[in-house]
Amino acid sequence: MNVFIFLLKRFGLMIVTVWIVFTVSFFLMRQIPGGPFNGERVLSEAVRARLEARYNLDAPISEQYFTHLYNTIQLDFGPSFKMQDFTVNEVLAQGFPVSAALGILGMVFAVTIGMTSGVISAVHRNSVYDYSFMLLATLGIAIPNFVLAAMLIVIFVFNLQLFPAAGWGDISQIILPAFCLGAPFAGYIARLTRTGMLEVLGNDYIRTAYAKGLSPGTVVLKHGLRGALLPVVSYLGPAIAGILTGSLVLERIFVIPGMGSHFIEAAIQRDYTLAMGALLTYTVLLFVMNTLVDLAYSIIDPRVRLE
Amino acid sequence: MVHLLRRYFPFLLILVAALSAVWAVSLGTLPPAEFVFNNGTEVKTIDPAKATGVPEGRVINALYEGLLRSVPDGEPDELGRTPTKPKPVAMADAYNVSDDGTVYTFHIRESAKWSNGDPVTAVDFAWSWMRFLHPETASEYNYQLFYAKNASKFASVDLQEGDPVEIEMKDRPVAGQMFPRGTVQRGKLISLIQPHTDQDHAGEAGQGHGGGGTSGVAIFVVEFQEGDNSTTAAFTTQRIENEEIKSLVKSYQGEYDLTDLKSVEHVLFDFEHVGIRAISRNEFEVELNSPTPYFPELVAFYPLHPVHRASLEEHGDREFTKPGKIVGNGPFLLRERRIRDRLRLVKNDTYWNAENVHLNSVDVLAIQSETTSLNMYLNGQLDWDTKPPNTLIPLLKERDDFVSTPFLACYFYRVNTSKPPLDNPLVRKALNMAIDKQTIVDSIVKGGQVPARSFVPPGMNGYQSAYCGEYDVEQAKLLLAEAGYPNGKGLPTIEILYNTADSHRDIAEVIQQDWKKNLGVDVSLRNLEWGTFLDTLRIGDYMVSRSGWIGDYADPNTFLDMFVTDGPNNQTKWSNAFYDEGIEKAKYESDPVDRMAIFKEMEQTLMDEQPIIPIYFYVSLNMVNTRVKGFTANLQDVHPLHLLSIPSAGAEE
Repeated sequence: MNVFIFLLKRFGLMIVTVWIVFTVSFFLMRQIPGGPFNGERVLSEAVRARLEARYNLDAPISEQYFTHLYNTIQLDFGPSFKMQDFTVNEVLAQGFPVSAALGILGMVFAVTIGMTSGVISAVHRNSVYDYSFMLLATLGIAIPNFVLAAMLIVIFVFNLQLFPAAGWGDISQIILPAFCLGAPFAGYIARLTRTGMLEVLGNDYIRTAYAKGLSPGTVVLKHGLRGALLPVVSYLGPAIAGILTGSLVLERIFVIPGMGSHFIEAAIQRDYTLAMGALLTYTVLLFVMNTLVDLAYSIIDPRVRLE
Repeated sequence: MVHLLRRYFPFLLILVAALSAVWAVSLGTLPPAEFVFNNGTEVKTIDPAKATGVPEGRVINALYEGLLRSVPDGEPDELGRTPTKPKPVAMADAYNVSDDGTVYTFHIRESAKWSNGDPVTAVDFAWSWMRFLHPETASEYNYQLFYAKNASKFASVDLQEGDPVEIEMKDRPVAGQMFPRGTVQRGKLISLIQPHTDQDHAGEAGQGHGGGGTSGVAIFVVEFQEGDNSTTAAFTTQRIENEEIKSLVKSYQGEYDLTDLKSVEHVLFDFEHVGIRAISRNEFEVELNSPTPYFPELVAFYPLHPVHRASLEEHGDREFTKPGKIVGNGPFLLRERRIRDRLRLVKNDTYWNAENVHLNSVDVLAIQSETTSLNMYLNGQLDWDTKPPNTLIPLLKERDDFVSTPFLACYFYRVNTSKPPLDNPLVRKALNMAIDKQTIVDSIVKGGQVPARSFVPPGMNGYQSAYCGEYDVEQAKLLLAEAGYPNGKGLPTIEILYNTADSHRDIAEVIQQDWKKNLGVDVSLRNLEWGTFLDTLRIGDYMVSRSGWIGDYADPNTFLDMFVTDGPNNQTKWSNAFYDEGIEKAKYESDPVDRMAIFKEMEQTLMDEQPIIPIYFYVSLNMVNTRVKGFTANLQDVHPLHLLSIPSAGAEE
């Protein structure tokens, strides 16, 4: 029951947040100089008026706001101003799975690499492995992902010729960007796992487990890891936010047709409807992900109560 | 339950991760096409009537075909550029021009077919051009057809009493969809009732509000002839309940009965009286206002390509461009479209000249990052890179797959002639002469660009460009002194506006130094993000601004008609009656030599008054894999896909 109330509360909060985001960005967007129909070639006034009428931009701003809000509630984001052959819903429907694929793979990289190296570092504390993994982790955190991307392209694309330079369409094309996306988070997760693991390994119940004669592998993976997972899971919330924003740059570098490219371009080109659609999708996504993380946290840690 | 979850949570997590990873990598894969190129950016639309821009042109020219095609033709000039000419190697197989140069008759080839098997007829063109001009389409390029008789009246709803009109009723078969149109009635406009006394400019009233309406607050009294009888009726494009319409009806004291006022979709100039018509199935006639020697160039231009009426009416204005629904008449078909990723084109077997189309599939990528694009080219993922990064040009120039020539485009500075001291032509001339353009070309842009001493790029058939003087510091100082600012004394700081980009900043900095060093003028720089920049330029809130212009067709008019008084692209506030008259006169001049002479004189006026300072002429920059044949450097930097071939791919088959 607790869970149900928690979810209901979160949902209510999300609706309010989305509405605030909608309102603020609706008016902010229209405050920025420049409009969707400005180009180097200037439109005649008649054509401009026609275009504004087509997209309801000639109506009073309050009317525009309520029309747009009404349509948004019905999940209809309207036509894209700049990609005239598509509606915003179609653009998002094409972009979202791509970004999701990239994000998920990035996350999988981050968690597997991070946790593996974290556990190894903790178990072999102060060894060569520990030092080198932690150095790599620090590097991963410190190097911005677009710099990492450039280095990896030089190494893996031009020197080793293992991967294509960019593009979207097959598995080999997703590896490099997903790795670049996940690298900084892998670094954090490695350090969190190491710290958490060290703390757990010092506990009495671990000593008991060893005393029972369990093998070191079983002790570490079955009893230790469970405890060390806590800080990692709580870090997943911010990590997901980071993955979402991090992909904006990487999508550009690796020509990945995801939400990030659409969002940036929409903002630059003043594609009001598309920018709004992408923004609201991001808002909802972040909310949902954070809620899931909180739920997961309450599941693995009995001490946590959902509020 | 919770305990069970807690126990197996780590495994659950691993399972979810594994499943989503599998899902992620299994997303639609698509092996690369035979020929892959970077189009630079996502095309905004593939609807010819609504498109603008070079990337859109490349795609539309592959999917559709107009009456004529601009193709490389003839011997290369001394710079290795093949001239391009509009030729009847497209939907038309011949055309002729009346002796006075105002009536063009195109003969559409018998074998012209749409990709669904329908024949392409003159009616298709008449309908498509009507759609192109229709005010509701709001085509940004519609002025390109204003040369046709009455076309601008139709497009701009410029109605006067006595004009033939067509009235579209509010009974469109599909609500909210422009085509198919509602019932159209044709009659004669006998009275135009508007709130203000100014009855001559109904069209301008229509440019204000009005949602789907055509002419703002106005009532049209139209006479219909049926045999010997004539009836009159009153229409408005507003809602009847509209307060302004109500008061207009109330205050009306004329002779016509307004009680049956009817609200309609559009009241337009009757398209049957526009100089565009299908004479027969295969003969298409265009009547022009004046001889327009470059009209064939416009006919070959992609906005005038036809669209397939039946599929557009079935699927609607946006949906008809989708793969699977689109019906084209060009050398290629659209197979797949992924937003900001690629358009997959495949050869169209119903194309009249399909046997001479060599590529079976083409991928059109939308890569915005120049570096990524070059990476992909060097890595063999691209056969043609349309925009290698400027900074690497000196390195790339040495390669034999680098194809580059000057083309019809000019990089220039606009000068706001309404801002003192820039309102003084002497100051503007001094500024021009004090810029070392050669250095800019040699040390900043470095791609083989040519310093510009005129606005119209050299190389146009029969045209000798005007001249605005070399880099001459002494002369510039004299001019400035003559203007009353010896050694720059008394001159305020001049601000150079540019849109945020490294290359523009570098050039602006060189010019800043030149003006300071040579003239003693203080210069500040201001950069703005693209959208804001365009707005600032439009409202004229600048002193000197970076600009560029690419010719739409190979005729000086595409450059010179920009700067007529209040031209939408003028933006310098410059106005010169002599110039306006000259540009207008050139429209009616049928002798090509005299016409070019007029243009030359006008360009010289432009250069003497200097509302713009030409900096350099662009060069086209292309990296093309040497295995690709049929790629020719030319004046307009057009490379029709259907002329390209990859011999080795053919040999393998």
